[in-house]
Amino acid sequence: MATKEIRYTTPAGVEVPPPPHLNKQKSQYTPFNFVNGFIFILVCLIVIVPIWKVLIDSLDLTTGYGMKLFPTKFGLDGYVSVFTNQSLLRPLWVSVYTTVAGTFLGLLLSTMGAYVLIQWDMPGRTLFANILLFTMIFSGGMIPSYLVMRGLGLTNNPLGPILLPAINVYNLVLMRNFFEGIPASLFESADLDGCTPMGMFWRIALPLSKAALASIGLMFAVAYWNDYTNFKLYITDRNLYNFQMKLRDMMQSSDLPESVGGATENTIKNACVITAILPFMILYPFLQKYFVKGINIGAVKE
Amino acid sequence: MAGSTSNGTITVRQKPLGQRMKKYWGFYLMFIPVLIFVALFHYAPMFGIRYAFYSWKIVADPEWVGLANFEKLFRQSQFSVSFWNTVVFSVIKLLLNTGFAVLISLLLNEMISLKFKKVSQTIIYLPHFMSWVVTASVFSLMLSPTATGLINQLLLKLGVIKESVYYLADKGWWRVWYYIINVWHDTGWQTIIFMATLTGIDPGIYEAASIDGAGRWKKMWYVTMPALGNTIITVLILNLAKIMNLFESVFVLQNDSVRRATNVLQTYVYYQTFNSGASADYGYTTAVGLFRSLVGLGLMLICNYASKKVRGRGIV
Repeated sequence: MATKEIRYTTPAGVEVPPPPHLNKQKSQYTPFNFVNGFIFILVCLIVIVPIWKVLIDSLDLTTGYGMKLFPTKFGLDGYVSVFTNQSLLRPLWVSVYTTVAGTFLGLLLSTMGAYVLIQWDMPGRTLFANILLFTMIFSGGMIPSYLVMRGLGLTNNPLGPILLPAINVYNLVLMRNFFEGIPASLFESADLDGCTPMGMFWRIALPLSKAALASIGLMFAVAYWNDYTNFKLYITDRNLYNFQMKLRDMMQSSDLPESVGGATENTIKNACVITAILPFMILYPFLQKYFVKGINIGAVKE
Repeated sequence: MAGSTSNGTITVRQKPLGQRMKKYWGFYLMFIPVLIFVALFHYAPMFGIRYAFYSWKIVADPEWVGLANFEKLFRQSQFSVSFWNTVVFSVIKLLLNTGFAVLISLLLNEMISLKFKKVSQTIIYLPHFMSWVVTASVFSLMLSPTATGLINQLLLKLGVIKESVYYLADKGWWRVWYYIINVWHDTGWQTIIFMATLTGIDPGIYEAASIDGAGRWKKMWYVTMPALGNTIITVLILNLAKIMNLFESVFVLQNDSVRRATNVLQTYVYYQTFNSGASADYGYTTAVGLFRSLVGLGLMLICNYASKKVRGRGIV
């Protein structure tokens, strides 16, 4: 069967040559696409190699190092050392409960604040918004903050690094932008049916914002898990360190836990780095779309 | 509620303030926790700014000194080094990150294989989720001058260097690696905002350009770049407003041998207060912090004005 040739004709029936963009068969194998693909292989390698190097070193029990793709003497002793050692398990536990409690509290404050800020008719709404926005452009600074935290008894207190980052005006504004997208008619009809403001919050605003809750919740979780500054400033008691603080300490000094089995000092260091990024490494491929959505909620209004 | 006046405009008469406030009492209740948090953690520290005019050695009581702290501040060479480092590090970092992010976004946009594109995006976003402590740990292991340091071993094998270099303990090299590490950490994530703009461009425009005979490069230059221009300016303005906040990325990469040369204002304040024993002066470091906040405020206002000019709305 002969292939059907498409003829281009004007409405009057005069035959014309096909438009230039349909003229030539598009080939995928142009030099540009090869170079482009090659560039991205290179870019991905630059990102991956440092992480890969740490990963294989954490699984390698030899003492001779250098460049290699896979561990020469494979063993999990580095991780066994991390997960059996009390001085490492405690910071890990601090990180876990700070992240869980902080994310919950952060989401609660962000959604409640955002929900109030979308009540257009409420007296004082603009004032409330300005009170929040002013904190984005001016701050007391590091030392006055420290003095306030000390005055409140939140230094060397596990509550300090949970409470302080929970109020995040940027996330609150993102949440408000999302709430603004909910049709006002939904709230109006609920109001007519006698629904209370709290009822509308739980039954309309939150259930319709699951994607935004996931994105902003993840932003809080990452911030809490990765928090170093607040611990550095407000916590000096080693028993209250989170994992980032412990990791930093280990990297700076040779304050290393006792090794189990054949794990060398370097193996344990590398295993600690991997442990610190493990939770998000595992969740990341599944949650990537929520992470990306978070940054785009803010961009929608551009 | 709406009444019409003689000249055709409609005025909406609101209920009296008291009645409206009564209607919203539940919302005021909901806002109380937010107000408490903001008051404690954002507004209470602002009252501490008064210590900028006191001398407050840790062992003694605060003592009023007027503007003496600011006079001292402008005489200290460490202060001006820190201030200029803050500006230079932030601006160069911002330009490098944005430049690479635009370049990568443009190339990603030209990618034919959707699967390869997705995998690349997943990989380049990854470093953003690693804390600065982890990033610093990874790179200090990589850059280590011992046998475990990948970079030194690689360069030795290639014959580029004769003996191992301790990159993070050398003032010059420290800066170079600071920028490289920042690009590694942030560029991928920055592409998201540019990719969102690129996917928003109407494919009809590309088609029209093709019909008019534009090739790949012409389309990139005359269609894609103008569309990206606005986003690039927005990103630059938004980030320029925040340059005074630089702290953690510098702090975790510093070590004793390069500290004095690489301090930024925030790290300077930290070390002056918490690492100088009994000579620490809360008053002086508050003054440095106040200077930083004021410069930050100024930048914010300038960027806000620029943002209104460029894209019709402010940044806050």
